[in-house]
Amino acid sequence: MRGITILSLVIFCFLFSYFLPIKDAVSDDTKSCLRCHSVKTLSKQLENKESLSLYIDGSKFEKSVHGAMDCSSCHTDISLKNHPKPKKIASKKAYAKEVSQNCLQCHPQDSLMKPEVHGKIVKKNEIFCSECHGSHYITSMKDWKKKAGFSTYCMTCHQHAITKTLPSKEKLSLKVNESEIKKSVHGKFECIVCHSDFSKINHPIYNYKTKAQYRTEMTQICTKCHKDQDLQKNPAHYALTKTASCIECHGYHGVKPAKVAKSLPESQYCLNCHSRAISMKMKNGETMSVQVKEEDLLNSTHKKLKCTDCHKEFSTTQHPMRTFDSIADYRAKSKEVCNNCHKEEVLKYDKSIHAMAFKKGNAQSPDCLKCHGYHKVSWITPDKSARNELCVKCHTREGDAFSSSVHNLALKQGKKDAPVCSSCHNSHDVMPTNIANLNASCLRCHKDIKTSHNKWLWNPPVRLTTFVDTHFNSASCASCHTQTNKAVYLTVVDRAKKKVLTEDEIAKIFGVNSNEVKGKIDFNGDGKIQEQELWQFMSSLKAKTHANLAGRIDVLDPNDAHKIEPKSKTVKDCAVCHSSGAQLSGKIEINKEGTKAVKFDFERTALNSVYAIPDIKDFYVLGLTKIKILDILFFIAVLGGIAVPVGHITLRILTAPIRRKRKEGK
Amino acid sequence: MKKIYLHPLPVRVWHWINAIGFIILILTGVQIRFVDQVGLMSFETAVQIHSWLGFILLANYFIWFVYYIFTGKFFKIYIPPFWKPVEFIKICIRQAKYYAYGIMIGDENPHHPVPENKFNPLQQISYLFIMAVLIPVQIITGLMLWDPQLFGSVVSLIGGIQVATLIHTALWIFFSAFIIVHFYLATLGVTPMTHIKAMFTGYEDEH
Repeated sequence: MRGITILSLVIFCFLFSYFLPIKDAVSDDTKSCLRCHSVKTLSKQLENKESLSLYIDGSKFEKSVHGAMDCSSCHTDISLKNHPKPKKIASKKAYAKEVSQNCLQCHPQDSLMKPEVHGKIVKKNEIFCSECHGSHYITSMKDWKKKAGFSTYCMTCHQHAITKTLPSKEKLSLKVNESEIKKSVHGKFECIVCHSDFSKINHPIYNYKTKAQYRTEMTQICTKCHKDQDLQKNPAHYALTKTASCIECHGYHGVKPAKVAKSLPESQYCLNCHSRAISMKMKNGETMSVQVKEEDLLNSTHKKLKCTDCHKEFSTTQHPMRTFDSIADYRAKSKEVCNNCHKEEVLKYDKSIHAMAFKKGNAQSPDCLKCHGYHKVSWITPDKSARNELCVKCHTREGDAFSSSVHNLALKQGKKDAPVCSSCHNSHDVMPTNIANLNASCLRCHKDIKTSHNKWLWNPPVRLTTFVDTHFNSASCASCHTQTNKAVYLTVVDRAKKKVLTEDEIAKIFGVNSNEVKGKIDFNGDGKIQEQELWQFMSSLKAKTHANLAGRIDVLDPNDAHKIEPKSKTVKDCAVCHSSGAQLSGKIEINKEGTKAVKFDFERTALNSVYAIPDIKDFYVLGLTKIKILDILFFIAVLGGIAVPVGHITLRILTAPIRRKRKEGK
Repeated sequence: MKKIYLHPLPVRVWHWINAIGFIILILTGVQIRFVDQVGLMSFETAVQIHSWLGFILLANYFIWFVYYIFTGKFFKIYIPPFWKPVEFIKICIRQAKYYAYGIMIGDENPHHPVPENKFNPLQQISYLFIMAVLIPVQIITGLMLWDPQLFGSVVSLIGGIQVATLIHTALWIFFSAFIIVHFYLATLGVTPMTHIKAMFTGYEDEH
């Protein structure tokens, strides 16, 4: 079928060619080719689906520098005998490369290397002869140079994807988008208006080391027209010109009009620059985007605000130039922007574990921007699972633990009172869990919980909720409501002031650095606190303050507190805690201000030591924390109690004869 | 044989409720403390019985208290003659000598109980201390442990729950030993059942 088509085409062209005026100037060989290639619609579909026109305008070809040459001079692989034959061509680019190889037959490489820039292009092999010079209608270079407009002249090469690799290994694109120039404020300019050091006979080569240097140097082009006194008319813009090159904001060739209509809303005025991909540099070299996406603003909860409602020190006439040490420094200061309206939230945040970590330089720690975004501040979503996602982004382990909980089940079921992370942990004043009274968090939702616990948790003969309180005050809800390992936690407190003693305060008492406190309690450095270590630590602490140990029962791994089980799986056996054989580990907590406590394992037998009486005054769990020596005393007392009658009876038995004799004597 | 009415009915009622209560309290106390080693009943049951009985004995204590205080007998029977200390110490030594030596050789008990003076000097000291100090203290510390939150202010007053527990446990130890000795001493009447019978009938045989 394909053969028939080609044959028909050849016959058609052959007959048709008799009606075409073929120039005499062209060779016979060329005439033969033009019989077919004069058909305007003659084209070929390439493998990449591009269409390659096979039409040759004979009269234009005749006038070209190669007009007297045979076609086969360049198309060496084609003769009338073997043509037409199907030829696979991958793409126009590949064909240009293939055809351009033939130029070298007459134009030797060394002559091509003479003009320096031309030599570089040839050497780079990024673009090929035919792409700049064309193929069949090449005029003499002299004539072409004379006639070509500057833009045409430059774009001949610069329309192509040519690049330059700088010493910094950065790649600089030298491709110019002509339509972008046309649409720009400089659309009517010839290239040399700006690039005045270039001409048809002069093409300087710049040797910039980095893109940044390139941008800075090229900016001098702008200042030829845009003089300092012009720029000063807009103080905000003038200030910016001292911090960034023109190109960084305005781009290279697509410079848009910068005239801001007076009628424009203020935010639009700012977006004029800030909608572009602009960035600012920090002192430590970090780069931060200062681009603002308008759609983010429009979709944010702040959409009705003007830029200056938050960025108060900026206006259409004022644009202070600020410098920041780092992105973290910027973020820390940006909190003040939020503080303008959200004072309460910022105040709460400042107390949080997140703020503390942020101050310590943990870049991953959340601040306003980390959770709420810069300009994309969204409404609090009604989708509770989505709300949790925000926290889970960083707290993956906690998220996994929570996913198996009855709370997450409630979330999945869409129950309206199902909790999210912030229900327990708060949203802004997120506290270390040992300081935050998490039971109180449970009670926030489970309001009648004391009464319901009181149905079974009471001490006869009177049903009092204070008995529930006793348990609530000394065991976390998670202790019974999760099927996890548990521990007795001892926390160092100032009993007189009724407050936790922090690591810093303990360090102060001992007159050492905070990091040396560990050595004060764990003398032998084995990571576990033996009884003797604990009491020695407490006695030296008590010598200087009203220190004591507060106790509570909690889950061993704090993360397990997220695994709250349904009621049916709750621990209901009192002996889980109320027995000397209770499977509870021992943990000592030394609190740190605003961050997680330092934890040590301790020998749980310490709880049964006589020293626990003065050192753990307010924590006693029946069975679990009983003082061992009293058990021994009990047995001694019982044995002593038995020994009295046994001894006395024995003596009476032994002395019975004396009594008998005496009676008889009477 | 002469019978002396030593124990009025309220005293007898109080005594036996107290006696049964004491024994069960000691046993449930043992169960609570040695939950892993003793299997008389579950921890929960032991606590419930212990709490019920604690309150029963608290009420029972008032029977004793009201009876003795309102009849004025408390001062006659329980208060040793501290205004005659030397003499009192002497009769204490005499009584102790009797139990340690006199009883062995067949001496007569130097103390003859009468309704106004039914306790020998050693009993007097012991019972005064037990009834006026130890039992109230045991009841108060018991209440603290019964609901540490409700009695929180009293708990902090004495220095924390550990102190309350220590006192309550120490008294449990004392009472456990005391009750054994008390059983034995109750048999040291003229006949082994003299005192015990008297505590049921109220009348003690005078020999």
